[in-house]
Amino acid sequence: MKTPGDALECGHSFAELSAYLDTGEIADPAHLDSCPECQAGLASLRRLSELGNELLTADVAEAGSGGDDWMQTILDNLRLELRPGRSIPLRAEDPQDTLWETEGSVSALIRSVADSFPGTAAGKCRLLGDITEPGAGITVDVEIAVVYGHAMEERAAALRNELAKMLQVQTELDIQAINITVTDVLELPAPAMTPNTEDQP
Amino acid sequence: MTEHVEAKSATLADELLGVVQAVEGVSAVYPAQPLWQSVAGAAVAAVTGEQLPLINLTEQDGTLAIKARIGVGSPLPAPKVAREAAAAIRRHLGNVPAVVEVLVAKIEA
Repeated sequence: MKTPGDALECGHSFAELSAYLDTGEIADPAHLDSCPECQAGLASLRRLSELGNELLTADVAEAGSGGDDWMQTILDNLRLELRPGRSIPLRAEDPQDTLWETEGSVSALIRSVADSFPGTAAGKCRLLGDITEPGAGITVDVEIAVVYGHAMEERAAALRNELAKMLQVQTELDIQAINITVTDVLELPAPAMTPNTEDQP
Repeated sequence: MTEHVEAKSATLADELLGVVQAVEGVSAVYPAQPLWQSVAGAAVAAVTGEQLPLINLTEQDGTLAIKARIGVGSPLPAPKVAREAAAAIRRHLGNVPAVVEVLVAKIEA
């Protein structure tokens, strides 16, 4: 399904990336080696697919077409966040140098850390504040979906600590706060009932 | 730009690509000017099948402008890797006046 706003900056759509994961086919496979946005999108879709398998629900392509609301929300955010976004300045040793990180690279990193927690999928990941201004205070907002059975408060605290450590190492942002919001609790489907014939007369 | 200068520029871009790829922590070098942002480049690539140099070089008033777009994939901090990539480019250029731009487009945890 290709909808307005579905395409990344390179022109590829999430539907194409999802189809590539399913079939291994895409019009210009060489492009995937040279596009960090597509690579981040594929990585996120693979992690979503793994979580989908854990939930024994429909595959990513079906979810992407609107089957599951929580996954659709995540996919909607991915479409937005995989774009390069704003440029975050880095300190340079030579005054003639200009060094940057893209907002998209940091968002993808946040998402990968959140997704690495078992039974967790990152939804919205936002850097709030003027990230283009060195030293400006930044708030990180992350929304997650958690599979039922995982302690949410502990999960949120552990994720907050992990993100704080990672952002301190991998960026020069002045992180003032990291807000974790659990927006969905995902229930595992009930096991199928199978008749126990041994006990029957 | 003459063919001679173009060839020299392409050679230098290739050399700098090797320099950047050799920096510890650099996991990928992406096209500095994505093809879809360069109509001319996309047209040339479509016709000839040739890829534009991954390291973008331009020259103005005797100063080289170098642009590299990288992925970082190690425990090393991405800002440190970006600085090291810029420093490695400068070491390779020696005393050639240059402005260096390094953009981190992907960070792998």
